[in-house]
Amino acid sequence: MKRYSPLALFFGLALPALLGPGILPGCKTQKAQHTIGLALDVGGRGDQSFNDGALRGLETMAAGVRYTARGYEPVPDAAYQQLELHPPHLALPKPLVLSGKAQEDYEPNLQLLVDQGSELVIAVGFMMEPATRAVAARNPAAKFLLLDSPVLDASGKPVVAPNVRSVVFKEHEGSFLAGALAAELSRTGKIGFVGGMQLPLIRKFEVGYRAGARSVAPHVEVLVAYTGTFDDEKKGVEIGQDLYGRGCDIVFHAAGLDGLGVIKAAQQANQLVIGVDSDQAQVAPKNVLTSMVKHVDAAVYGAAKDLLEGHFTGGDLVLGLKEGGVGLAPLGAGADPGALADVEKLKDAIIAGKILVPATLDELAKFQAPSPATLGLAHAVAASK
Amino acid sequence: MSEVLPQPGLELQPRSLRARLFSAAREPLWAALLAVTASLTFSFFAILATGKDPVAGYGYLVSGALGGPGPIGETAIKGAVLILTGLSVAVAFVVGLFNIGAEGQLIWGALAAAVAGRALDLPAFLQLPCCVLAACLAGGLWGLVPALLKVRRGVHEVISTILLNWIAIHLVHGWLVAGPLAAGSSSSSISVAGTANIRASAFLPRLLTGSRLDLGFPLALAVAAAVWFLLTRTRRGFEWRAVGSGAEAAYASGIPAARRICEAMFLSGALAGLAGGLLVLGTEHKYPGVFRTGYGFDGIAVALIGGGTAAGTAVAGLFFGALRAGATRLQLVGIHPSFAELIQGVAVLLVAAPRLFAPLLAKLRGRPRALAPEALESAKP
Repeated sequence: MKRYSPLALFFGLALPALLGPGILPGCKTQKAQHTIGLALDVGGRGDQSFNDGALRGLETMAAGVRYTARGYEPVPDAAYQQLELHPPHLALPKPLVLSGKAQEDYEPNLQLLVDQGSELVIAVGFMMEPATRAVAARNPAAKFLLLDSPVLDASGKPVVAPNVRSVVFKEHEGSFLAGALAAELSRTGKIGFVGGMQLPLIRKFEVGYRAGARSVAPHVEVLVAYTGTFDDEKKGVEIGQDLYGRGCDIVFHAAGLDGLGVIKAAQQANQLVIGVDSDQAQVAPKNVLTSMVKHVDAAVYGAAKDLLEGHFTGGDLVLGLKEGGVGLAPLGAGADPGALADVEKLKDAIIAGKILVPATLDELAKFQAPSPATLGLAHAVAASK
Repeated sequence: MSEVLPQPGLELQPRSLRARLFSAAREPLWAALLAVTASLTFSFFAILATGKDPVAGYGYLVSGALGGPGPIGETAIKGAVLILTGLSVAVAFVVGLFNIGAEGQLIWGALAAAVAGRALDLPAFLQLPCCVLAACLAGGLWGLVPALLKVRRGVHEVISTILLNWIAIHLVHGWLVAGPLAAGSSSSSISVAGTANIRASAFLPRLLTGSRLDLGFPLALAVAAAVWFLLTRTRRGFEWRAVGSGAEAAYASGIPAARRICEAMFLSGALAGLAGGLLVLGTEHKYPGVFRTGYGFDGIAVALIGGGTAAGTAVAGLFFGALRAGATRLQLVGIHPSFAELIQGVAVLLVAAPRLFAPLLAKLRGRPRALAPEALESAKP
């Protein structure tokens, strides 16, 4: 008898389960009650950065629920008030969230969200662009929010799809402020940048950061390194250790999950680190100087709100400092009020259009740093003397 | 059930770990089937233990794998790739090599398909075959490297293929696709990851409306049949097997063993390269910026469950393809999609573990047995 028990178990339990959708009335694939679906890329939940920013926008701000170890739970009002942005709750049911395990899963995942009755499907990350384009064309009645990339045609030119809203951020503007702050606060004269993969998107962070550092303190050296991935915390630790070992005292990361490793390296070296996308202060309160916040949450919230109010439109949105799409999180450890005053002045200059922040390496090569004196940056002039 | 090995005397000699792992060809199919069902059952209770509904979960798993043309297409895409990487591992094992390098070979195949699909501009009937050949060639050449290292310098292929995987990953992902072959120039601020799109004439034609089922699936099945024929019905296949059973004996009887090893490893690499080519030509239509598949590593599992035979590998590849395709829908009932990997992992463990401990079990029982059901029982977690 013993030897057959797995088989017996199979016929007793697993087989009905396998045939479930056909013979058991209770688990027919029915249209769920969800109105909003969110598809994440391979980075997935738990990066405490980009993906989680989108989730927070949808879950906490829009739906008023939060994913915890026990599943979805409502957020208490007190906790809600502590969020950086706390607009009114929207009357949304729990969101439906799918993570992709491989790149070829994006398209079926988006289609599945449409099939499950999602009125708004949110594609998190530019890597979902081809899949979003395909699924949006196939389902003209469904609405899509694509983050970090415009919709492109086959030759790579941006086009407008009537049912897709795309939101792109001016990460270079926020990174400019991060670079300026880091350069002013650096005691060693060396600051670092850790990128994930070498993509135009991540270059925007690097280029903005370098331009910002150059604008306030041309003598400060910026060491740049890329991990080549977005989901390998170990790599982030290694590269972070390397940069701190080479004399950097402040490192900015734009490396997704790898960035958590950079923060760990900062803790080990007892140095400062600048977080990215979400405010990462809670990851290492003593070491996170600030974070270059990208308000993915606000973009998601806005789209959900427009959907509920019936005026969701397609088209491209570009969110920079002026629109409140990017910015620095409140300063944490080691901040000098003088430096912060300079950062505020730089921010005003960018918003007023007096500084055009470069976004690519070519633009960085041509970038003329504004004279600190004309902008009235007391701290920067002192530092560069 | 209590089958004795064909040559019972052989069992008394110590067999290498590798030989024991892949000895499944001599074992009945039900051993693999039992492992898979036991694993499904185990995972059923594991899901139950997390407080989720395993019945609904398995229902979604099946509907995500087989429920309609769309899901069937996804199963076919993944199944085709897994069949090919599984065959890659199985073919290398025929000449006695453990190819852990399918992942790297797959990456080169995918890149070659993406480059050829873009750079070539041939008539439609030539474009696709040339891209497929480019994928095979690239994978094959990368597979040839460990073979040459092995026969010329005696480098163990497990070491060299693992290292070559990393070389391929870093060369392709860290440099080629991010640098010289990237689609966007440095002046572009639009984020496109990966290489430029291939020409439409290089797309694998899709066979079913409402589904991404493409020509890759029948191609993979045809390749599996061809591999079966090559290994079991041709002189070359016989010589490969002779080399696998004992390279020196084969050499002594006039078979150029080193050459046969290189040939088989080239084919092994070509199969993995083709798998990568199918992904690029079928669904991605470019080399994507993030190309993380694990298909190459899963090929080892597929070949293990499939018992190292072409037919077994094809069935196992399809099964794991379905599992992967259906796993996404587990999230609809709040189950983490990694449970599909649990099913796969436990099944591999159940197939592999009894073989690892076969000599010990045989000793305990006092008679030479290859694999008894009791062995499976005791290995169950």
